[in-house]
Formats: sequence, structure tokens, C-alpha cells
Amino acid sequence: MAKVMVSMPEQLLAEVDAEARRLGTSRSAVLRGFADEALRRRRADRAGAIRELLREGSGHHGGDAAELVKATRPGP
Amino acid sequence: MSTLLLDASVVLAAFDRDDAQHAPACALLEGSPSTLATLDLARYEVANVAIRAWRTPEAVAPMLAVLERIAGDGGVVASTGALMTRAAELAEHHSISVYDAAYVAAVGEGDRRLVSCDRRDLVSKALAVLPGDAG
Repeated sequence: MAKVMVSMPEQLLAEVDAEARRLGTSRSAVLRGFADEALRRRRADRAGAIRELLREGSGHHGGDAAELVKATRPGP
Repeated sequence: MSTLLLDASVVLAAFDRDDAQHAPACALLEGSPSTLATLDLARYEVANVAIRAWRTPEAVAPMLAVLERIAGDGGVVASTGALMTRAAELAEHHSISVYDAAYVAAVGEGDRRLVSCDRRDLVSKALAVLPGDAG
């Protein structure tokens, strides 16, 4: 596992340490958990929003998206 | 966890139920555990296809909204002078357009991978993977 040095306000660090004591784990484990949870939540939010946009916005356009991208680019 | 850099064709395929890559493109956008990113060029290209090819201007806003969601995830790479200089070199080396090469250049160093539906110029040359192969 990689080791990193993180700077943060003392009050925030105190809250992290309090959480570590409450959970009976290390400061590093708490920070890992917070980072993991934040990234999972962001991906879940992204997925939900995109699913809704696709549900409402997709249609039948004939396919071949990659070729249409090339065909509609400005010519030389 | 790697970052997947999506070109415009992936977003377009997800919005086109007739596209052969529709299902894998949707699955990637909705469910990938990877961080997603794109290039600023994608905004122009999805809008251009919706207006010029699909003749469906109402498709522009939801596709741009998807790109904004991607921007909020892994970000939008800017087409800087440095990136375009690298793109020009790649275009010459791989005999592809500077547009396609800009996406390849945006992958840059590190663990990013380019995802595209462009078999002819990108996937066949191992410069990108199809949405279903992005993992």
C-alpha cells in the first residue's frame, strides 16, 4: 500500500481521530474509508443521473455513431 | 482504478438505440466502476452529429448533460497547444485525423485508456478499446 502525506486543518484531524477511536481503528483506515465512500457515492450519483438522461433522451438514429462523427467534422 | 477517457462516439452510441455499441455504451456510462473523463472536443462533436446528421436538436441538451456528469467525475481534458502538438505528431504517425489523434493525446501518460466505437481508425490500431471491452 502506498504511503502519502496529507495536510488538513487540526480540527478536521481531531474529528478523524475521534472517529478512529470510536471505530477502534487507525487514522489511516478512517481516511481510506472516507475516500472510498466518497468515490462510491460520486459514481452512484453519476450512474443514476446518466441512466435517467439516457432513458429520456435516447432514440433511433440509424446507428454508426463513429462514422457520423467523422462525416460531420469540418472538411479540409 | 483506471480512468476511462471516452470519445464522442461512445456518448452518441448510448443515445442511439440503433447503434451496434448502444448496449455496451449504456452499460459503461451507467455502471462502470472506473472514473470517466473526456476531451473538450466531444462537446462539439456530439452536438454536430445531433444537428447535422440526426437532425434532432433536442438530443443536444441531454448529451451535453451526460458530458457534464463525466466532467464532474474524471474531468474534461482541454485541447491545449501542447496537447494539439502531440496530436499532430500522433496523427502523422498513425495516419489518422488530428481530431482522432487529439483523443489519443488526451490519454497521455499513466493508467488512462481511450474508449471509442471507432473500429476503423482507433480500435483496429490498438489506440482505443470498444465500450464492451473497457472493463
